[in-house]
Amino acid sequence: MTPSPLKCRWSKKVTIPLEDGFTRAANESYMHDEMTMISGLRQHDPDVFAAFFDRYADRIYRLALGMLGNASDAEEVTQATFLSALESIASFEPHARVSTWLYRIAHNHALMLLRKRHPSEPLPDESIGMPVPEALVDWSALPEERLLSEEAQETLLAAISELPEGLRAAFVLRDIEQLSTAECAHVQGITESSCKVRLHRARLLLRERLTAYFGEWVGETRKQPQP
Amino acid sequence: MTCEELIDYLSDYLDHELDTDLVRAAKDHLATCERCQIVLHTTEGVISLGQRQQRRILPPARRERLFARLQSAFLSAAGDGHE
Repeated sequence: MTPSPLKCRWSKKVTIPLEDGFTRAANESYMHDEMTMISGLRQHDPDVFAAFFDRYADRIYRLALGMLGNASDAEEVTQATFLSALESIASFEPHARVSTWLYRIAHNHALMLLRKRHPSEPLPDESIGMPVPEALVDWSALPEERLLSEEAQETLLAAISELPEGLRAAFVLRDIEQLSTAECAHVQGITESSCKVRLHRARLLLRERLTAYFGEWVGETRKQPQP
Repeated sequence: MTCEELIDYLSDYLDHELDTDLVRAAKDHLATCERCQIVLHTTEGVISLGQRQQRRILPPARRERLFARLQSAFLSAAGDGHE
């Protein structure tokens, strides 16, 4: 049977609400809804699979892209994540959130691909000290069209992919995907305090890199103000 | 609070996870330190730009290709399971 993605994806209404901005009641409803989705996947319902893919594919792709730095590898990890999830759907624990479960699978696949691409590269994030701010140009008041340009977004993405490996996921999960510190730590298999340290380092390193990029738009480089 | 301490606490400050006393000390320091103000504002800028990345989606061609492959695998597994 030849798959017919578009027909299948929209042929039946499968309503799955977004998970942002919950209330307690909404959260309970969401968890119930997630279990309905898991149940549908276990019963091999193709419409539920289409909704499952639509809800999570972009999130998984963004994490993979941030960790790996290129679209082809990110696509490979996204595919591997969904395949792994479908293979283990029977053992999914109802107390977990589907998104966190998927992020964790994706994180592991991304790490495996990184090891394959760079087998001898150590994990330097645990050994480096806290970055000391050096670039002191205030670009935060640049016009929005400059700050939000496609080029600026690509510069940030490139800067994320140049971070030490462990820091990339921390920034993507917390500051892009907006996970809580606890969820971020769970996905990476580290403590919450380690997660916070990684996030802090990532932000400071990205700040240096983006200041180098945006600084030229600020105009004449200022003299460093004295503390 | 010194500049070094302010930088150490910066993420906790921005994430509203700092104790009240430390928040007050940080604000006092920031009121007189242009250097730390710049680091604060530009770090906020990094976080804000990160949030904008959430708009990034799978490129349509990759999305369709990926969906077709995964749907095929899903349907194939369903067929195996029903045999």
